[in-house]
Order: sequence, then C-alpha cells, then structure tokens
Amino acid sequence: MNEPTSASRPLRPAPSFLRSCLRVFDLSIGEMLWSRRTIFMLLVVGAPVLIALFLRALVALGAPIFEQTRNGATQFRMTGPAIFGMFVWVFYLRFTVPVLGVFYGTSLMADEIEDKTVTYLFTRPVRRGAVLAGKYLAYLGCTVFVVLPSVVLVYLLVVPMQGTLGASFIDLLKDLALLALGLAVYGALFAFIGAKFKRPLLIGLVFIFGWEQAALLFPGYLKKFTVAYYLQALVPHAMPNDSTMSLIQGIFRESPPLVVSLFWLAVIWVVFLALAAWIVERREYVLEQ
Amino acid sequence: MTKKTRYFMAGSAAVLAAGLGTGLVAYYTGGFQPVSASPVATELRYVPADSALVAYADVRAIMDSELRARLKDALPMPEKGRQEFQTQTGIDIEQDIDYVVAAVAPESLHTAPLVVARGRFDNGRLEALALEHGGSVEEYKSKRLILAPAAHQEDAGAIDGIESATDAAVTHAKRSMVLAFLEPGLVAVGDTDAVKKAIDAQLSAHSITSNNEMMELVAAIGDGNNAWAVGRFDVLAAQAKVPAQLAKQLPAVKWFAAAGHVNGGISGTLRAEARDDVAAENLRDVVRGFLALARMQSASDPRAAALVESLQLAGSGKTVALSFTVPAEIIQMIPKAAGVQQQ
Repeated sequence: MNEPTSASRPLRPAPSFLRSCLRVFDLSIGEMLWSRRTIFMLLVVGAPVLIALFLRALVALGAPIFEQTRNGATQFRMTGPAIFGMFVWVFYLRFTVPVLGVFYGTSLMADEIEDKTVTYLFTRPVRRGAVLAGKYLAYLGCTVFVVLPSVVLVYLLVVPMQGTLGASFIDLLKDLALLALGLAVYGALFAFIGAKFKRPLLIGLVFIFGWEQAALLFPGYLKKFTVAYYLQALVPHAMPNDSTMSLIQGIFRESPPLVVSLFWLAVIWVVFLALAAWIVERREYVLEQ
Repeated sequence: MTKKTRYFMAGSAAVLAAGLGTGLVAYYTGGFQPVSASPVATELRYVPADSALVAYADVRAIMDSELRARLKDALPMPEKGRQEFQTQTGIDIEQDIDYVVAAVAPESLHTAPLVVARGRFDNGRLEALALEHGGSVEEYKSKRLILAPAAHQEDAGAIDGIESATDAAVTHAKRSMVLAFLEPGLVAVGDTDAVKKAIDAQLSAHSITSNNEMMELVAAIGDGNNAWAVGRFDVLAAQAKVPAQLAKQLPAVKWFAAAGHVNGGISGTLRAEARDDVAAENLRDVVRGFLALARMQSASDPRAAALVESLQLAGSGKTVALSFTVPAEIIQMIPKAAGVQQQ
C-alpha cells in the first residue's frame, strides 16, 4: 500500500551544461574518429610524414639533395629547420588546418541531420547548445590528437638534417600551439556555418580556397576578415615563396602584432562558437523525409 | 568511449609526449646533433652561443700523420720540455690528448681563449700539482675549478689594493686562468669568466649548437678535415682595433671558415661568406689578382709553382672559397733541404 508508484517517483534533474557536454563528447569522439572522414584525415596528415621519411631516407643514403657544389664550394640550399618551417606553412597551416576545420566543423550538426538522428539527441534532457559544444570538443580532440603527433614526427625526421632538435624546440612549441589554435578557430567558424547554412561544406570550401586566398592577395583591409591573416602572423618560420600566389601574398603581407592576432582569434572563436550554439538552441530542424 | 578509441588517443598522446620529451631534452642539453654533424658535439656544447670564433683540431690525427713524422725527423724538437711536462702533469701531449676545441668570445679577444680538450687526464695529479704551486680549488655549478697560482695571487693583490690599481691591472687581475674538469676525460682551460660562461652555456643549453648559422658552416667544413676554424669576421675585425684607414679596406665579409686535412700532405679550404653578392665578387677579384701575382713570382721555382697551381678559387653568390693542396712530394723534400742546410 505504501510502496511508491512510478508516477510519484521524482524525476532526476537534468545534467548540468558541462556534464551534458562531456557526455556528448564521449559519445561523439568514437563516431568521429572511426568515420570515413578519418581516412581522408589520415591521408592529409600522413602525407607530410611520408615525405619527411622519404627525404630522411635519401639523406641517409647520401643523396646531396640539400646541398649543391658550385665551383668546388659546398652550399646548402636548405637546412632541416627551414624545411620543417616550409612543411608547417605548406602542409599544415595552409591546407590541413582549414580543410579539417571545414570537413569536421561543418559536419557537427549536418551529419546528425543528414542521418536523421538529431531527434534522438534533442529529445534527451540536455541543452541543445551542450550537444553542439560536446560535438565541438570531440572535433577538437579528434583533430588535435591526429594533427599534432604528425607535426612532431615531421619535426623529429626533418629538423636533424643540418639542424638541431634543441635549437628548433621553441619553434615546435609555437607551431603546435598555433595549429591547435587554428583548429579551434576554424572549427568554431565552420560549426557556425554548419549550423546556419544549408550547404555548409560548399560554403566552407569557398571560404578557405576562395575568399581567404583572394583577400590575402590584395592590399587593404579585406584580409582582416580572414582567419589566416591572424594565424599566419603567429608562425615563427619564414613564409615560403613556393608559388606565384605565395609570392604575391608575401609582397602584401602585413603581420599584425602578436597580441592583436591572439585577441582577434579569441574573438572569432568565442563569437562563432556562441553563435553556433545559439542557432542550434533556437533553430527548428525539419528532417527531409 | 570505446576501448579502440581509448587506445588510439593513448597512442597519439604517447607520440606527442615522446616527441616533446625528445625536443625538451635536446633543448636543455643542446644535444642530438645533425646527421652530418662533426664528432665534437659534446665539446661544442661548452662553447657559448655568441662565440666569435670556434676552432677544432684532431690532435691525435695530426700527431700520427706522416707530415708530423717527417717534420719531427727534419726539425727535431728538444724532448726535455715535453718529458718534464709529462712528469709533472702526467699528460703525454702526443698520446693523451685526442682533440681540442677552442673558442673566442667577441668581448675577450685580448684574453686567453677557452680551450676544451678531450683526452686522458689524471685529475687528482693535476689538482695536487696546482695546490702544490699555490693554486686554489673552487666549485662552480658542481664542476671543479683550479685557479692558476700566479694569477690567483695577482688577483688577490689587485683586489686588496684596488683603489690604487689602474683599470688595466684590475681587469688583468680579474681574468685569472682556470682549469676546469667538465666531464670524465674532458677539461677546459681559459680565462675564469670564459670557463664559467662555458659551464653556463652547457647547463642552460645556450651553446654554439643552438647557433644554426655557425653549425651549418661547421657541418659543411667539418667532414673529412682534421682541423678547422669558423668565425665571425666582422665581429673579430671590429674588436681587433684595426686602424680606421685599414678597416675601410677590409672586405665586407661576415663569416669565414678555414679547414685543413693533414696527413702525408696538407689540403685545405679557406671560405668566406660576404655580406652580399657584390662584396663577394670584389673579394674574388682581389684573390684573383693575388693568384696572378703569385703565379708570376713562382714561375722560376717549380716547387712554388706546384703549390701556387694547387690554389683554386671557387664559390658563387656570397661565397668565396680558396682551396689549396701541398702534395706529399713537396713535404718529402723537407728532410733533404734540412740536410743540405746542415752540410
């Protein structure tokens, strides 16, 4: 008679924002890591490691790839630290970071909508914003744990060729920090694009390969509306002149001060992540049948 | 999180930690030299990063060379001094020293350079000898230093009478000579400040190994040579107090490097890195002029002509290189010449 019925049992309180975030992170990171997109990511971050390994093997076999003898005098075309700097610029900063940001950032919500599984997440007693934040954390964990080890491997393979690991260690730390920052900022920006627009991947690709490249080419204030402008100012290595675009960008390159760059990157990160969460909280997602 | 995901994250974290750990150790020890680095990496870690000149000599290789044997036969040196030195210190210069690295700091051109020597030394005997002759022992960052007796006394005297001493005397007194036991089989000799700076350089990892520009030159000329020197020409010229008139005439050279291989004969290269292409071209013109003059002068002497003919000017861009070879055949003429003079 006195036994409590299911109807009178008190409801458990909804988990806090942080707990919800971590729960979604735990759920999403495995899904994200073992998705088909990871094959693409492994190709993107594996290529520099393979190239570095190939270069190291050539040097070990005695191939004079970084030196030239002119009139009896041996000259070095490039040293290991300079090649490492070029790897960071060409492979990671200009390609890997924005591309992973686009592919993963835009898919944070888009995948759930496409798979029509967003309903299951939104019917849980967690805030919608926490779903996005948890998925964003999973994206960060997934990309940071794949990109940064790749950079470290390239550093270990390339820098000892006519350079010292110790002398380039501070540059490595700066590189790792700025790549992690780049992933965070691009991720936040594309999470917003993914939450707001219908074809986020296309918009993202146009943004990184169209708008950012074009804005950096011209003198004036347009480049201030790109992420690359602030991110490139943090790179401790010299900008390579590997293509006509790079040469032109080098001519019009202005480096904002460190504090200014960090400030604007922080602003972009906070604003777009907050906007993405706000949109997810308010938007009514209509699943196509 | 699944087990597979956890393993992946742990693997990634391990790679990251291993790489950062390796870099951190390399940063603090200044170690992990380039693939083609010289074999004196440990010794170079004691050379401060701002050194204006670094030189290396493979003492063993030079002592064992045919050239040395021939010179010894031709110009016999008195053995007494060497034996006396060996009796007192236990060091046989010909056998016990493997190689030496010397460095000159930009601000101390007029004082003794830092010399780091690798070999077999009887530390106890050296310390006892120094104490016997009035030297003193002190510890500096866990390294044992022996202050040379004369300088030590002079130092004390000058400090006592510092008010009456001239600036030069005070400077000289402060710069006492020191012998430091850096590692087993590795000693440093030099000015107190220079030796202490060397110990600091090794401990703080701010050694010449972190100076990529200089290490590139060392790596370029170190291979296959048993003696070399690399230095900042502009810094040395500025410190050398050259008269202004002469200083204007000096070529605009930033770096210079000299390397030699001693065995039966001697082969060597002198290399200069000019400030720009124009300065390098001017320097090449000057060297070409000297070479033409030398050829003209040596035309009548076949031995000198052979030596002058071996001089090869090379280099492009900012680099000017002059290589030379003294063939073994010319060296072989030395005993005969000595014999002729004696007759």
